[in-house]
Amino acid sequence: MLNNLKTTYIAATVLLALSASCTKPQESSFKRISADQQFSGFLKEYSELKPNPKIDDNALTYVNRDAQKHLRAYLAIVVDPIEVYIATNADSAKISEASKTAVTNYFRHALTNAVGDAYPIVEAPGPLVLRLRTALVGVDVGGAVNAGDVPADSKPLAHAVNIGKVGVEMELVDSVTGERIAAMIDKAALGAGAEVGAEQFSKVNKFAAAREAFDEWAWRVRQFLDVSMQLNPEETAKALQSYRPYGADSDFNPQ
Amino acid sequence: MKVQFIALASLAVSGLQCIGAEINTFPAYIDSDICARLMLGQITDARIQCSQKTFKDGSSPVVVQLKDNIVLTPNKEKLLKEHVGKLAEVSGEAKFDRGTIKLESVKQIEPSSVPAGDPNRKLMDVRMSKVPASAPVMEKIRHELAMMPYISQFDFISFTMVGDQVILTGWTVRQTNRSEAYNRIKSIEGVGGITNNIEVLPLGSNDMQIRAGARAALQRHLSRYFWGSGSDIKIIVKNGNIILLGTVASKTDSDIATIQCNSVPFAFHVFNLLQVKKG
Repeated sequence: MLNNLKTTYIAATVLLALSASCTKPQESSFKRISADQQFSGFLKEYSELKPNPKIDDNALTYVNRDAQKHLRAYLAIVVDPIEVYIATNADSAKISEASKTAVTNYFRHALTNAVGDAYPIVEAPGPLVLRLRTALVGVDVGGAVNAGDVPADSKPLAHAVNIGKVGVEMELVDSVTGERIAAMIDKAALGAGAEVGAEQFSKVNKFAAAREAFDEWAWRVRQFLDVSMQLNPEETAKALQSYRPYGADSDFNPQ
Repeated sequence: MKVQFIALASLAVSGLQCIGAEINTFPAYIDSDICARLMLGQITDARIQCSQKTFKDGSSPVVVQLKDNIVLTPNKEKLLKEHVGKLAEVSGEAKFDRGTIKLESVKQIEPSSVPAGDPNRKLMDVRMSKVPASAPVMEKIRHELAMMPYISQFDFISFTMVGDQVILTGWTVRQTNRSEAYNRIKSIEGVGGITNNIEVLPLGSNDMQIRAGARAALQRHLSRYFWGSGSDIKIIVKNGNIILLGTVASKTDSDIATIQCNSVPFAFHVFNLLQVKKG
């Protein structure tokens, strides 16, 4: 009797699970920009971002002015996986996981290269560590990929990815508290005319324009960090007054 | 067949390693990391005392090449322990651009074994430290280094000049500071050559905890030395040791800094090298 009950319970559970998986609609793994929105919604807050004349008209930026929460108070960065927001009218069925992986892996690599010598990349969050959150916004479906476009050692994508209208949204948050330290929206149309048609597109000449666009977006993130780290006149005066090198003539006595 | 292939591959790899490895043998001064990077230039009695004291307190031993003052961090500290504060003939695979050496042997030598006129005597000749450096050039270098944007409270870059030769030194957590310091001063008129001994520190999680703890403790008790995102007190953390650098107004403040940093969890030793303002 007990065995019968147990068997019935297991069968019912399995049936329930099966029916749930059959009836649940397949969720797209991509987020989409809403038709009526200027920004993607990737950043929690947009009103603080202002045009930055030290970069160009395409960049809106924010830097936390609290000295304790300034970029200079941090030493390293954890780079989060890149998120992708597809264009409002893009057919998400034609943008595969492989496409997403191709573009996000390369951009993450480009970002790491661009910022790594200024903010060493670490694996884990912790004190003095920032978390870099980044999204590629406006990814669209591109043209067909001809087999001849892709060499034998690189796998072609089912549909090319069009990055012509892509922009970048990023923010640096304290990796422990999550508080925002800096942010940037970059609307520079660097991907105009560029498509990604292979999983390892960085090796394929035909997609060189896409590679250059990603490298340039990453470089602009570094440029934002560089201009944000520049000393203001007050800091300059303090730094000059404070800095005294040690040397053979230093009269220090180690305690 | 598979075994033969693996054996052949291993042989090929080890063969390549042998071809790539170049063993350098040179006379050196065995110093502590702290004194090698702060007491720049000639090996004086004060420097020898500094080397021995700071080594005893936990500063790692390093090799200083006599010819050009390049500081090399060894893979095996054990081989150097007996020789700190002394001269030695060192053999190993040196990577001068990275400031590291894979040590093979260390043999103590007497100062008299380096003949007069030998370039290796340069660091031993205390008269060299009296060669006046150009004050305007020194000030230009100081200005350039003070203006570096990525210098934080956890970096300290120092320099000295022996004649027209600049020795750059110190510790930084950022690779970009090492190269930028070099690039900023290489084109200054009057700079004849540069030895870059700036060490890039690893960012281990323990050291990061100590940095954050030390900064918080010092800001709480010595807040007047912290301004904006900079500070008059620099906090260098390496392998659990804290090195305090910079200038404070009084001996009392210097002592408070030691006490506060000694209370930071996981810190092994505090080297207080703060200078007290004169007058």
